[in-house]
Amino acid sequence: MPRKNGPLKRRGFLEAALTAAASSSLVSCGRAGGGAYWRFFTAAEARTVDAICERIIPADDCPGASEAAAVNFIDLQLTRHYKKHRDAYRQGIAKVEEAARERGGKVFAELAPEQQLEVLAEIEEKHAGFFALIRAHTMQGYYGDPRHGGNREEVSWRMLGLPSPPVRGRVPYETKAG
Amino acid sequence: MALKHVNAVIVGSGAGGGVAAKELATAGLSVVLLERGKFHSPAGCRKDDLRNQRTSALGNGFGPGDERNPRVLVDETGKERIVLASEGGYSNNAACVGGGTFSYGAMAWRFMEKDFRMKSTYGAVEGSTLDDWPLTYDELEPYYEKAEWEMGVSGDDSANPFRAPRKRPLPMPPLPPNREYEVLHPAAKRLGLHPFDIPMLRNTAPYNGRGPCMRCRWCVGFACEVDARTGTHNTVIPAALATGNCELRTECIVREVLVDNRGRASGVVYFDAEDRRQEQTADLVIVSGGAVESARLLLNSKSRLFPNGLGNRHDWVGRNLQSHTYSGAVGLFNFDTYDDLGPGAQIAICDYNHGNPGLAGGAMLANEFIRLPYQFLDYAPAYVPPWGPAHKEWVRKAFRRTIVVIGPTQEMPIFEARVQADPKVKDYWGIPVARLSGGKHPHSIEIARFMAGKAEAWLKEAGAARTWRRQPSRGLSGGQHQAGTCRMGGDPKTSVVDKYCRVHDVDNLHVIDASVHVTNGGFNPVLTILAVAYHAAGHLAKTWKNTRGRV
Amino acid sequence: MTVALAALAAILMVPGASLYYESGAGAGCTRCHEMNASYDMWHGSSHREVGCPECHGGAFTPELAFHWNNASRVYYHLRGEVPAQIRIRNIDVLKMVERCQECHRQEYAQWRAGPHSADYSRIFTDKTHNTNRLLMDDCLRCHGMHYEGGIQELVSPLDRSGPWRLLRTELAGRPTMPCLTCHGVHRHGPLLRKAGVDGRVEGPKQELNRPSLAFYDRRTQSHIPVAALPLPEMLEGERAVRMSRDQRQALCYQCHAAEASRQVGSGDDRTAVGVHEGISCLSCHLKHGQKTRASCAECHPKMSNCGLEVETMDTTFRSAGSKHNIHWVKCVDCHPKGVPKKKENSQP
Repeated sequence: MPRKNGPLKRRGFLEAALTAAASSSLVSCGRAGGGAYWRFFTAAEARTVDAICERIIPADDCPGASEAAAVNFIDLQLTRHYKKHRDAYRQGIAKVEEAARERGGKVFAELAPEQQLEVLAEIEEKHAGFFALIRAHTMQGYYGDPRHGGNREEVSWRMLGLPSPPVRGRVPYETKAG
Repeated sequence: MALKHVNAVIVGSGAGGGVAAKELATAGLSVVLLERGKFHSPAGCRKDDLRNQRTSALGNGFGPGDERNPRVLVDETGKERIVLASEGGYSNNAACVGGGTFSYGAMAWRFMEKDFRMKSTYGAVEGSTLDDWPLTYDELEPYYEKAEWEMGVSGDDSANPFRAPRKRPLPMPPLPPNREYEVLHPAAKRLGLHPFDIPMLRNTAPYNGRGPCMRCRWCVGFACEVDARTGTHNTVIPAALATGNCELRTECIVREVLVDNRGRASGVVYFDAEDRRQEQTADLVIVSGGAVESARLLLNSKSRLFPNGLGNRHDWVGRNLQSHTYSGAVGLFNFDTYDDLGPGAQIAICDYNHGNPGLAGGAMLANEFIRLPYQFLDYAPAYVPPWGPAHKEWVRKAFRRTIVVIGPTQEMPIFEARVQADPKVKDYWGIPVARLSGGKHPHSIEIARFMAGKAEAWLKEAGAARTWRRQPSRGLSGGQHQAGTCRMGGDPKTSVVDKYCRVHDVDNLHVIDASVHVTNGGFNPVLTILAVAYHAAGHLAKTWKNTRGRV
Repeated sequence: MTVALAALAAILMVPGASLYYESGAGAGCTRCHEMNASYDMWHGSSHREVGCPECHGGAFTPELAFHWNNASRVYYHLRGEVPAQIRIRNIDVLKMVERCQECHRQEYAQWRAGPHSADYSRIFTDKTHNTNRLLMDDCLRCHGMHYEGGIQELVSPLDRSGPWRLLRTELAGRPTMPCLTCHGVHRHGPLLRKAGVDGRVEGPKQELNRPSLAFYDRRTQSHIPVAALPLPEMLEGERAVRMSRDQRQALCYQCHAAEASRQVGSGDDRTAVGVHEGISCLSCHLKHGQKTRASCAECHPKMSNCGLEVETMDTTFRSAGSKHNIHWVKCVDCHPKGVPKKKENSQP
């Protein structure tokens, strides 16, 4: 049976009334264009970062950084422990887009993978600080603990054959003996 | 309201302070144990591979926090910068009850006889303050044994012909060998080396009411969820509290040690968990904050009689900051070596601790602790690109096929590797922060390079298809093995404390932690810190003359 | 005046937030991105016809704390303090048990009557256990996995002398292994293959793995779907044990787990070897009650080869004190001189 879609049909009135009553910021955080939600990034920035992450750890027969949601990790951490890196990202992403326009006349995410690699090689050389940052964060978002917003479904741990959670029993013991 | 006067106030609840609290409290002294961190339970700190005491990408697992505890680091070019607690260069150990012993790997080494007599063995080393301890191994041996049996050490060093003589074997057997052990053991034998099971402060059988290790993959850097790993937090500190004579106060930041007008220590000033200024008076003050913080506290305790800080009449406090120059090698094998069994580190050799031609010392070599994926990336060789498909492919292939052999090279202490109280930068409480400066002695690097070669040879013999070395860094040594800043010695002009850890010119002030180490051995230092603490605090409890009446 | 207005606004706001979430059969919930993942998973699950309020409570739930929680969530949302992951609280997990049973009455009754419904006081204040083994945080991995906090905030004293009491008295009669231990309601995914793909009959009452099967992992505070859980390869000495591929067992193994050596029977392991080697846990243990009575008859003729009734043979099935553990019993345990040939007329 299909989902009972369309809140306006069933509870239209209630919905409309509440929406009006609620703060406008509540409404504005609705699902924009069917995409994901970002805490720090703009939708465009998130797209760029996601594409960079995927070049840093690309998919092969195992998921890459994009599927592992490394960008979600970075976005989340930029509201937490990595607040200090906010400017670096904002400026770094702008540099990437600048380089992407120069090379391909498109936004980074729309470039062909080879062109993306050229852009990133340029960034790695000219903006080494930012590149080192996003490289490290991508690795953390891919190989790190899923609780921080990346490594979705523990894809990297599964790739490495790490059972999670591991099956591990305790040794039964009588403390009196010890 | 003034706090009740006690017999002893101890600053810091790590390896040194924990043992001191227990020894004094069981001897009947009233004790207040101050700790700047929290009393964590393993449940309060879930296994987080990006936020623990070994990988602090998202912060330190067990303190200190980034916000309130900066330090200043002066690099070799003289450039200074502020470093946060989770950043490299901070020389962090931990800030929690148990200190480093709450989350360490728990190797429980006795130093060798020569480690206490480095200058007599090797002679003076130019540019180094290398010296003998005023203590000998024989004097400390009973306290090593006490630490091993009272706290509980597992392992078996009977196959190690280089070990210093012991009167009693270890109380618990080692864990069954893991795969790395099985690969490395025959290879060491073929090379004529003498491999054996690493002694560890870790239960392998029920001991002291706690169960054995379940061999999980979250070991060093994490809290032990089955409480099988032994630290002061689950042994001597509970024992001290159980006497009823010891009170533990957590989240207390000590600002300075107070002195009376006769020049004796009279207590400490600290900020409690609510940031209220408190004054705790005591007959005895014991500083056990670790090599960086103990030195900082003494240097910050300035008064009319001690204008340069306590114990610092001859400018030795904060000097000789040392740790270990780690080096080793990584081997990539054509078969799986990863078996998902913690703690991972199980096999060691002491063939190269001493007697290396032309070198003043050496190191124990052992296989490295079990590695989590993100941490593993750090072992990638230079020939692998740092990102992209080749990097991913390498991680995927190598994760289960890599063995790391490393060792803590004994360092040549240098006078200019030091901790100072920074003249400008203050922490959240307004206390001048630690200012770290200096580097490593070139000979420490030379020995560490030699050790890397030996580690590589061992891995090659074990059948590694490719090997690469982990070269030592030149920067200042601190971190978890930090030591040396309040040197123990017979001459007050060239040391800070005597052989019983008493500050030379303040007879009721003691420093009981790795700060007193003259040299730091080619081993993880915790068992030596514990043994020195048993020795010094035991002596103090026996000889202390009650001035105001014991409880 | 201001106070009165504020109070009025507060009163209106409190169920208001709940109402807002509830609107549109739960679609309102997704307006806050922190709920997106949960909503999507629910929407793809077998419970997608069951609206959010059925399980989570709704605008008319007569409970102030519930509405307060919703209101404060909105408040934090507006302040931009976004949680990394919405996590269910223990109290909600326990409430959920009651809501599950409104539909799943039979499963509830079976679970209630079985060992997996053991409550907090039974698990944590058991004298025999506590005089022999230390209570520790790791206990919570399998008992009370949803409980927030450490063992020291749950039981006192943490020693072997007792007497022990629960510090959280409200949990005394509540289950330590509630429905959400083995079921993730929001979990979706394809149906898994039927057990016994190698043609082996694992028990006639088998059914497909339900897509909700998932283990609540205390470490990551999330449900791991059963398909992603590891099924260990067990050893008996050096020998690899033949094991059923029934993936549902991966749930059992999370807690009934062997020591690091993977030896059968070590730790809390109950992997079958001997006469029962290769059969799934669930061939004998019914899912919700773990009841094994009458399970023998699913496979066995009433009489064994030697003319004894299988249920009265000297095993732990008959009496817990027997030295022949039903999980490991071998023919030679009773026939040390060799196993006699099967009798022709042994069929009943």
